Amino acid sequence: MEPKSEIFSQRLIVAVLWNICLQTLLAVVLVLVIQVDLLHPWTWVTSTIQDILGWKMVLNIILLALVSFFQAYVYGNYYMMPLPKYFTRFSMFINMFSVQNIIFSILYALSGYFTMSLYSSLAKSTFNVLKKQCEHYEGQCLVEQSLFLQFGGMWMGLYYFLNVHIFGTAILMFPHIYQDKFQQIKLAISNIFSIGFKSSIAPVLYFSIFYFLWGSKPRNVVSDVYSLYLEDPPLDNLLNLISSGIWIGLWFYTSLFFVSIYTMRTIFNIVLTEPMKFPIESDSSLTLYNALAQRSQFNGYLGAQDLRIMAMTDPLRRQLIFTLSQPGGHPRNWNNLLDNCLSLLKCFIKELDNINGDGKTTENEIKNNILNVTPYVRMYSSNLRNMAQSPELLELKDHNKNKIEDTFTDVAKEEFYVFLNKICQKPGINYFFGELADTRLKYLLMQAQPVMWTCEGLAFIAAASLKEDNYGIVQTDLPIILSTLVNLKQSIDKLTKPGLIHRKHILNDIVAIKIKTALISAVKRSIYKIVITFSKYIHEIPLDTDLQIAIQSFLLCKEA
Amino acid sequence: MSAFHGFPDLPPPEEIAFCKIDEVYCCGNANYGNITTFTNTTQKHPVINVTKDIHHHRTTDENLSMYIDVEDNLLKKITSVWYKQGFLEALSVAADPSVNREVPLLAVAASYVLKVANVFTAFRYFLQPHLKDIGPKIVSNYSRIRNWGNVPVKCLSWHPHTTKIAVATADDNVRVYCSEAQFVSTLKCKAQGHVSSLCWRPFSASEIAVGCERGVIVWTVDPNSMFTKPSSSNAVVLNRSGHSPVTDVSWSPNGDLLISCSGADTSMLVWDVAMEVAIPLRRVAGGGIIFARWSLDASKVFAATSSLIFRVWDTTRWTPERWCARGCRVVAACWGPGDLLLFTAKGEPMVYALTNTGLLSGAKTSKAVPVLDVTKVELPSGDTVGGPILDMCWDPTGRYLAILFEESPLIAIFCTTHLMMQLRITPCCFVNGIGNELPSTMAFQQNFPAGACLTVAWSTGRVQHFPIVYNM
Repeated sequence: MEPKSEIFSQRLIVAVLWNICLQTLLAVVLVLVIQVDLLHPWTWVTSTIQDILGWKMVLNIILLALVSFFQAYVYGNYYMMPLPKYFTRFSMFINMFSVQNIIFSILYALSGYFTMSLYSSLAKSTFNVLKKQCEHYEGQCLVEQSLFLQFGGMWMGLYYFLNVHIFGTAILMFPHIYQDKFQQIKLAISNIFSIGFKSSIAPVLYFSIFYFLWGSKPRNVVSDVYSLYLEDPPLDNLLNLISSGIWIGLWFYTSLFFVSIYTMRTIFNIVLTEPMKFPIESDSSLTLYNALAQRSQFNGYLGAQDLRIMAMTDPLRRQLIFTLSQPGGHPRNWNNLLDNCLSLLKCFIKELDNINGDGKTTENEIKNNILNVTPYVRMYSSNLRNMAQSPELLELKDHNKNKIEDTFTDVAKEEFYVFLNKICQKPGINYFFGELADTRLKYLLMQAQPVMWTCEGLAFIAAASLKEDNYGIVQTDLPIILSTLVNLKQSIDKLTKPGLIHRKHILNDIVAIKIKTALISAVKRSIYKIVITFSKYIHEIPLDTDLQIAIQSFLLCKEA
Repeated sequence: MSAFHGFPDLPPPEEIAFCKIDEVYCCGNANYGNITTFTNTTQKHPVINVTKDIHHHRTTDENLSMYIDVEDNLLKKITSVWYKQGFLEALSVAADPSVNREVPLLAVAASYVLKVANVFTAFRYFLQPHLKDIGPKIVSNYSRIRNWGNVPVKCLSWHPHTTKIAVATADDNVRVYCSEAQFVSTLKCKAQGHVSSLCWRPFSASEIAVGCERGVIVWTVDPNSMFTKPSSSNAVVLNRSGHSPVTDVSWSPNGDLLISCSGADTSMLVWDVAMEVAIPLRRVAGGGIIFARWSLDASKVFAATSSLIFRVWDTTRWTPERWCARGCRVVAACWGPGDLLLFTAKGEPMVYALTNTGLLSGAKTSKAVPVLDVTKVELPSGDTVGGPILDMCWDPTGRYLAILFEESPLIAIFCTTHLMMQLRITPCCFVNGIGNELPSTMAFQQNFPAGACLTVAWSTGRVQHFPIVYNM
């Protein structure tokens, strides 16, 4: 694993602390509610306090702390690594059974088990132990309800893991406005409760069905191992299950488990996505452009977000960008920032073009071909003999330029790839090994958030420079900013050109479609921001003719 | 001394005011006069006249009488009412003995269920009294448009960067008039009913947010397209339970965020439109949020509630500063240059300014000071002007302030100058209508190079551009 960033780990720790506080609060509220005794308020309060200060509570908190540390570890693993690139069904399938996922699923099952049994013990339920004294025989009997609950806990852990980490896309969504942590938690809490109680219905149903079909096996195993008798009617009978009422308990505890795990997730999201203020120039701490340079990592996200916030709302730090270095008089801050932003944007454009060109560099090849063809035509149309442009010479040149090595291994390799490709196109095999239609684009779009922020940040800095930049530092770079933005816009436009939509560009994922809209909107707004701000002086900016034509529609407000 | 002392005399009865050019107040005959005889600055402006016959049909209470009643069977009646108006209405139909003659048992049962339901709703209204009015009633209660439910032009909005204006008409269609194109795009979809507000997205040529009963509809109207009726696939409906009817929408001046307010919702929603995600902003006390206004540099948001409380949100940390109006709720507010805010309370002939008084000393104390008293007076011509304020607009450069009164057929325009932290308000001119016309709503054009251009929608459906030219 790559080195974790310091900021990220610090935030994880903060999140864990917040989490422990909230989980404790949740447990206290649970104890308070369960012991409700309106007729004897004094005993209610005292017994609650006794329970809260008791060893069970301490154990509960320790265990919850362990669970939340484990959650932090999982988050660290999922968010720190760039998203995995799996483009075929087969690789996705294989990836599901990676060591990491297997370990995580076991851990989740355990955490489900522990959380459930803890809540049930806090709620003073009678189904905490597997054994009881038999009523009709000598010896010990199995309490099947507690077995049901404990298995249910594991099931819920696994269910959550599958739902969120395997079938869901685990990307960190940054909120578009950031309020205080406390406010956000306050807003989220009622929502978490209602969602928790609602979404626990489905897994309880699934589990009841599962138990109905397979429940006899774990029961037999457990009663064999502990050599217990079975006294009560078995729960894998539908009527017994319903009449025992244990499903209500399971639903209640599952809801609590979901509430606690959603709380954890919300807290992690809130703490991790907090905007960070990076200094523009500093010797000791991470500067803005250095953060931007760590592209796909967490710091890169924070850097891009900070760039946008700084460009929009922070005149003091903007002033630092518009200053020259002393001594020397170079716009070092701006140059560093611009280099990083542009390289980020250019990288994204390149990736987009790769997708547009079906992953091959076909465009260059076509260009080369055209270049090669035109001289021939001219050759034969002219009457003059011209040795310097003879076709043979061109061929020779071409040969020198693109040396093709005709070694046996290369040919074999190429043949092998062709063969593989052919096999991959066979119907059945294609299903598993063929590249999925939109995954490449989806993968790229999922990482587009910093690109949007960077575009907007650059545009707002450029717009602010009209009034704040005394040395004209930013204005010298306006053409390159504009051309990069326009290039980006054209590359995105290619994805949606009417009538030419490639199968690979049709997105099925709603999130990806929305991100695409957001990206287009952000890029256009950035261009509009620059063009409208500088509209009076646009002819004084040295722009290429292509670029001038491209921004004409923006000048006239005709670009949809 | 009255604030209206020093205004130029009103034009004679047959004449209306056309424009003001370099301090010269130009009037002409209402029927034969033409603004082009005075100035060319509005020559390319779209000519808008919303008459009754261009309206599409709509089943409102007035023209419902046109349709002949069909005798349906009871079950069909109940289900159709349930589908259209909800469960409670269906219950009351079932309980109504004049409708339900066939099954008296059902009527009795329904009436008992209705009684129980009424107890619950009464309790709910006791807790949340602002929810008592439903749907369009809330909008018309809090609207800054005169007689909102019954005027040809419900609201209008200028595009921030081009000469393009959107007008919401009585049939809840939004028409987009453009200076270059001759045709008018009409935006209409099923969800778009009871339009309360319009707002063009800054730094975009095509997007407009429409606040209506169901929520916010964001249309993307391609300026190059020749379709006069864009399909509803160009519209995105943003809604959230409990956030209806939307009484106001406003884009941030940076074009990135959209705030929607609903008189029935205590939180205002900040939307990321592309991702269709909203973050609610809510604080204790205050009732429903009526409208929100962004400051010109997007650093602050003014939010008025249905009670005395109003808030000024700081947009970097999204924390509010709570204020309390003295007499009544805030009815209109506008931001000017330098984070200066003007607001007025309902039923009060007074304009207040909210300024940062402690800026020089570094402390951030602000206070509200009365800056303009527009108590009702009778002009020498016999017209009355002044009184409680209905709406207020400030032109984007902060030089002219237009005020619409509740009880006057005139619009008063004042000159405002902001010098040395002092706001000076001096008289400019009146805008009057033809005959008995009343102004329903107004808006300043956002990018008028020659000065300021106030667009007024009159109660007859006539839309007038009133330029104040000083930059020629």
